[in-house]
Amino acid sequence: MSVAIEEVEELKGGLMKVRIGVQHPISGQGTIVVTTDGEIVYEIDVDIGYSHRGIEKILENRTFLQGIVPMERMVMLDTAHVTMAYVRAIEELMGVEAPPRAQYIRTIILEMNRLISHTYAFGLLAESTGWFPAVFLWTTGDREPFLDLMEMLTGARWSYSFIVPGGVRADLPQGFKEKAKEAIRYMRSRLDLYVDAWLDNALFEIRTKGVGVLPRDKAIEWGAAGPNLRASGVPYDTRKNEPYAAYEEMDFKIALETAGDAYARAAVRIQEMYTSLDIIEQALDNMPPGPVRVSVPQRVPPGEVYARVESARGELGVYLVSDGKDKPYRVKISAPSFRNFFVMEMLPTIQEVKFADVPVIYMSLDPWFLDADR
Amino acid sequence: MPEVASEVEKALREKFGDNIVEYRAVLPQRIFVKVRREVVRQVAEEVKRLGFDMPVSAGATDYPDRKVFEAFWIVWSSRFNVVLVLKTDVDREKPEVDSLVGVWKGAQKFERETWELMGIDFKGHPKLRRLLLPEDWDYEKEGYPLRKDFSLKPYER
Repeated sequence: MSVAIEEVEELKGGLMKVRIGVQHPISGQGTIVVTTDGEIVYEIDVDIGYSHRGIEKILENRTFLQGIVPMERMVMLDTAHVTMAYVRAIEELMGVEAPPRAQYIRTIILEMNRLISHTYAFGLLAESTGWFPAVFLWTTGDREPFLDLMEMLTGARWSYSFIVPGGVRADLPQGFKEKAKEAIRYMRSRLDLYVDAWLDNALFEIRTKGVGVLPRDKAIEWGAAGPNLRASGVPYDTRKNEPYAAYEEMDFKIALETAGDAYARAAVRIQEMYTSLDIIEQALDNMPPGPVRVSVPQRVPPGEVYARVESARGELGVYLVSDGKDKPYRVKISAPSFRNFFVMEMLPTIQEVKFADVPVIYMSLDPWFLDADR
Repeated sequence: MPEVASEVEKALREKFGDNIVEYRAVLPQRIFVKVRREVVRQVAEEVKRLGFDMPVSAGATDYPDRKVFEAFWIVWSSRFNVVLVLKTDVDREKPEVDSLVGVWKGAQKFERETWELMGIDFKGHPKLRRLLLPEDWDYEKEGYPLRKDFSLKPYER
């Protein structure tokens, strides 16, 4: 990772303030303000808001169906999960359930999104250790088959607006299953390679083991989300705890590690990528016949609901209040990156963090500025 | 799950009586509790003691007709796997409420965001600083973005 140090400021007592950012430290615009005492990090302050779009307010001015489009601008790598959370909230209020085939297609899209996001995250983490500058190119190339599949299915590589209240927009196209199976086979061999080349690599271990340790109790207290929580030994996965789409019928295990360091978080992501491939395969093989969309009412009954899904970065919650009109009264999006940035700020308070480890900690927590800004 | 919901209800009603305005358990895994503003901190401590240990979200909804903001905190229990939404009405004229950062640390950024975008003052919050809005945002002129009287018209093109 190349760090643009924008401003170095000497403070009293030998402390120094280094601003990393604003221009794209890795994903989106934001600044990480690190106060250091020589090599030791004294304080981390994450300055977000550079790409705040006010999505919560915009949603109040759009109908429920229109809202899907601005909603998925929240995080581009993982758009299906964002729409899924919103659609889940709407469907829950409406009392509508999508037909089984739609649920299976949703599961396939969601897992492919998780793969796309995790390969990206893992590549950046490996690159941020400083040893493997080529990894990011490899992982970026490896998610390409899945982006092609998304294009084949939805017509777009990102931001598909494919999951809608009542189902999905279209059925699987011809030849999708075969192409997906091929991609799964390819990705499995690549994942084996990732494990051999990086996860089992002594250089990777030196840079990640014992770095940014997040103990179990702190992970819960600070509200860590997603793979970071599971790497600290909390078996929390919304796909299991509160199944949506077709996850109830899928056979899979929650990826779990107990060390809580950067290495454990990388290992959890690799495990989850294997799991995603398994789930996609099961969904393709057991795809039930039938319609993929049912009609839903224009208006949503009044009420309040909190719906959550397990996005690639962690639990994504939507608190939705409806007053019975065609637009939502209030939408509160609880983004996983927003929570993980808080964890990042708190880490130097319980352990000695070295300045050189900040990129590794950042990439191993995998928060996104765009996601946190909304 | 039904046992958890009724147990939590019993414990809260016993301790706080009339201060529990509303109690609703829906779906298999949701509890909505509305309490009076004065006791929100004590209720939060009790709720945490009952096992709801992980903060997930916090925010507020604007109800200009009722002249209140409804502040809410969303927490999850690692023991029961249940989500609880704790709500309270905050006076719109004098928007002040106790911060729950002392109870659930992870609520810090969420309360900070709500303070900034909705204009609710969280008493006892350690770090009420600008987060998302530009540094030169003028509340007098432009208002609080998430309030209902904030119009998107000037920003439309």
